Amino acid sequence: MTKHLEVLGYVCPFPIVEAEKAMAQLTVDDELIVDFDCTQATESLPRWAVQNGHQVTAFEQTGEAQWRICLRKIK
Amino acid sequence: MLLVVLLGLACGVSFGFVLQRGRFCWVSAYRDVFVMRDTRLFVGTMIAIAVQSMGVYTLSSFGIIRIPPLPFTWLGAIVGGFVFGCGMILAGGCASGSWYRMGEGLLGSWISLFGFMVSAAAVKFGVLQPVYQWITTPKGNHPFLYQSLGVSPWVLVGLFTLLTLIAVRSHLRRPQVRVPSLPPRKQGIAHVLFEKRWHPFVTGAIVGGIAILAWPLSEVTGRIGGLGITTPSAHLLGFLVTGNTKMLDWGVFLVLGIAIGSFIAAKASGEFRWRIPPAKTALTNLGGGLLMGFGAALAGGCNIGNGLVNTSLFTWQGWVATPAIILGCWFVAYWQVIRPMRTSAALPIRVAAGEST
Repeated sequence: MTKHLEVLGYVCPFPIVEAEKAMAQLTVDDELIVDFDCTQATESLPRWAVQNGHQVTAFEQTGEAQWRICLRKIK
Repeated sequence: MLLVVLLGLACGVSFGFVLQRGRFCWVSAYRDVFVMRDTRLFVGTMIAIAVQSMGVYTLSSFGIIRIPPLPFTWLGAIVGGFVFGCGMILAGGCASGSWYRMGEGLLGSWISLFGFMVSAAAVKFGVLQPVYQWITTPKGNHPFLYQSLGVSPWVLVGLFTLLTLIAVRSHLRRPQVRVPSLPPRKQGIAHVLFEKRWHPFVTGAIVGGIAILAWPLSEVTGRIGGLGITTPSAHLLGFLVTGNTKMLDWGVFLVLGIAIGSFIAAKASGEFRWRIPPAKTALTNLGGGLLMGFGAALAGGCNIGNGLVNTSLFTWQGWVATPAIILGCWFVAYWQVIRPMRTSAALPIRVAAGEST
């Protein structure tokens, strides 16, 4: 299953809070795609993912001050 | 006057640039210690304090700058600090953070800064002045910690720097997790300035350097002090509504410079865009800004005035207000972040147990 999360307009730490909520609903091997525009989350979201054992499968800037990160739930 | 504008803007623009590129945010620094169990940014703020303390006491021993003895108003420091700490989570940024996010185009930060200026001005020279008078009446014996301890300031400068070095060493010796970063599109100096992820320790050291420079740059224009956000923000509003040019000092151009410097950094990095928060978030930001201005004015400083500058001078005010700010920040972070996360984490279990409502 792939879940798409759009947290545009959310500032830190809420992109992570929402990502964590969404992750909790998923099972192993599911994918979570997060679209966000909080500059600080370019640093904190991938760090949160790695520290929580999620795999970052893609990470790109999709526009002016807009980013997308794709995560896979490993455990 | 030209000197005031130029020196204030020079310091502000570089400060804003570094804050934006380094994502140097005191809310994250304080909050993540509690919420994410992550002390990287917090140690970054310690580096900024340590660097500044060495620089400022060196400059003052050569007579280049003067360090004003701030009265220790402990009730203001505790109450104001706590209220400021609560406000900075709701505002989505500390005082310096709101100024630099303003330059990134976040309208939520414009809203919170408006609240911040209004309540800070109300406490400093408006309708809430009696509250300030009352809360700052009880005073401690000594402005500086080292006076109470009967030692040279250099003892504390040395101890704090040592503590910071130990923290840095412990961080650098940990096995480093590889955090994926965006694929680079720029090269050379452009990559370093407008793309690369800055290590919070490096950013902290640069912030400390700017904080040192602020002292002589400000004193040249007749303003004795270092970096500051609260009084300048209140003065900006005061000048706008009264036309009193006395309020238009070095600090006002410093805060305006932060927004400009951050705008330059964000624009050149493809990180500027006007971003509008949902109505509920905007209201929360406004409330947070009002609390921040009220608290910072009572405490005699925000995360910069107290958290960065007063701590580096080893004043009682800074060392009492800063823990109060951190506690306020953690208090609201618990209700806003930790509890919602726990509830959501428990959700699938409840569903599995067939207890979902």
